[in-house]
Amino acid sequence: MPPLLSVRNLRTEFEAEEGAFAAVEDVSFDLGEGEVLGIVGESGSGKSVTALSIMRLIPSPPGRIARGQILFDGRDLLMLPERRMRDIRGAAISMIFQEPMTSLNPVFTVGDQIMETVRQHERLGQRAARAKALEMLDKVGIPSPAQRLDEYPHQLSGGMRQRVMIAIALSCNPRLLLADEPTTALDVTIQAQILELLRELQAELGMAVILITHDLGVVAEFVDRVIVMYAGRVAEAAGVHPTFEVPLHPYTEGLLGSIPSLDDERERLQVIPGVVPSPFDLPPGCRYAPRCPYARPACDAGEPPLIELRPGHYAACIRHTGYRFEPLTEAAAS
Amino acid sequence: MSAANGQLIEVEGLTKHFPITQGLIFPREVGAVRAVDGIDFAIGRGETLGLVGESGCGKSTTGRMLIGLIPPSRGAIRFEGQPIGGRDAEALQAMRREMQIIFQDPFGSLNPRMTVRDIVAEPLVVHRWRTRAERDQRVRELLEVVGLASYHGERYPHEFSGGQRQRIGIARALALRPKFIICDEPVSALDVSIQAQIINLMQDLQAELGLTYLFISHDLGVVKHIADRVAVMYLGKIVEIADKRRLYASPQHPYTQGLMASIPVPRPGLRRARAVVRGDVPSPSAPPPGCRFHTRCPHVMDVCRRLEPQLLAVGPRQAAACHLVNPPDERGARAS
Repeated sequence: MPPLLSVRNLRTEFEAEEGAFAAVEDVSFDLGEGEVLGIVGESGSGKSVTALSIMRLIPSPPGRIARGQILFDGRDLLMLPERRMRDIRGAAISMIFQEPMTSLNPVFTVGDQIMETVRQHERLGQRAARAKALEMLDKVGIPSPAQRLDEYPHQLSGGMRQRVMIAIALSCNPRLLLADEPTTALDVTIQAQILELLRELQAELGMAVILITHDLGVVAEFVDRVIVMYAGRVAEAAGVHPTFEVPLHPYTEGLLGSIPSLDDERERLQVIPGVVPSPFDLPPGCRYAPRCPYARPACDAGEPPLIELRPGHYAACIRHTGYRFEPLTEAAAS
Repeated sequence: MSAANGQLIEVEGLTKHFPITQGLIFPREVGAVRAVDGIDFAIGRGETLGLVGESGCGKSTTGRMLIGLIPPSRGAIRFEGQPIGGRDAEALQAMRREMQIIFQDPFGSLNPRMTVRDIVAEPLVVHRWRTRAERDQRVRELLEVVGLASYHGERYPHEFSGGQRQRIGIARALALRPKFIICDEPVSALDVSIQAQIINLMQDLQAELGLTYLFISHDLGVVKHIADRVAVMYLGKIVEIADKRRLYASPQHPYTQGLMASIPVPRPGLRRARAVVRGDVPSPSAPPPGCRFHTRCPHVMDVCRRLEPQLLAVGPRQAAACHLVNPPDERGARAS
């Protein structure tokens, strides 16, 4: 069976004063039906641009998808006319964003906004759409949903707004949900509630989820498989256990070492020296080499390919192949 | 009490109510946001007190009152045994040299039109510290101390990354050799790898310069790393305060327990964050009667709705404000 989503060699560019640069370069991965994938990385790693590319929501200009394929159910979304893409967006593929305040329209009631989505995709009358909206608010755990239906976003707390966003996103039974930092703006007690809700709904509805986050704790608890991105490229791709237990890319290792975690007795945090390179001033070979404790001259010779170092565990690093560019088997993450 | 007891900062009954007004022409008070509602704590010399809590709990307002950016509604703050309120301008100015603040937003807290050198030198200029040449020398030292190069002094804030800007903010805070630094979410806006660099820098500076920190953060993991003692705030009150080890090993207040259970841990399969704290934080303009946490507490009892719990010792160097761990003596206690 072909995967639900297959991203192939995606390259998304942005035009800037200094010239064009690739925010996402040569990103490939597959996602099965009902699978939960986490994409992690720091600011500027390209994780959000990857999600926006899948939704074809890259603002153009200045952005454009320069290369690659995004196969959803075997069809290349990049070849679809915008009209067809609009039928998919919000229905088969849905997205929730970090800022529930800015993604809800302040002048419409919560009910109006759910009904708008429902009626965009399904032929429902006013009354049936309202009933659907009520059902969705109830499903996402909003107390007294009938009353909330006629309230405006500013009357709701941050956690409640994010629940409304989830209600809108799930109102047309998507097969794929893209969640871009869905809990980053929330307090931890509310974050725990929202993650619990997403987990329950994912199990109940069986949709595939791509969770984009900078929080490795959230990833460890929520996803089956992880893609670690660095400076626009995939650094590592593996199951959630190997990613955290035997990271094979030095960046993943460094990232894990720098988290001040609750169950951590170290006196001193491990540090990744330096900063992420500017997209206009990339190192000659591996993008992580200038910050990498294991870097050798060979690392500057070229961009390291994503190598399958263990079954299903890929890393874009030549350290484990004796610093040679002849990988054992080269393949895209799948 | 005097500074002889080793405390650098002592806070008693500190309160801040922001009035809510109605009417444009003749505004009248119709209520108050009880941002901070009577808190007590002390910070010893060279110690780091972590102040944690969620949005709106009053932790930043507390920090701002300590440094005099917001006048308290009630309560006393003593620095080295001397009250902060009621000093003349000159004495206040002298004391302000001893206290500095580092803000969360390294973008909003640096003037974009000033060079880094002028930003770092500004407190020196304001306090008329020595000559221009000596100030320039001091700025070069400071940049080096925080891990920047002296040529960075000629640049403007926009040329720096978030982590470097936070280093500039730290250099500015250190300029007058303060004893006490209030760190208000100093690493919250930074990526995790950069966050670790800044936390380590702050620990090094503390060891080297004997600094005392009030470290305000919503992140219990970060606080665990940097603090010696931790105070947990909820809706304007301290609900628990304890030595770090005790607090993390055996939190006593149900809110502290709930906060810790809510945090996802980066070990897959080890433990799942649980949403044990239900619902939302009530409005600080109308906090619930009795215990303020009772609307969300999994262990709520009848008495919690009527009687406000006091912050009482529950073990060595650990205190919690909870009827569950400190059953109330109903005859002696005041109903709130």
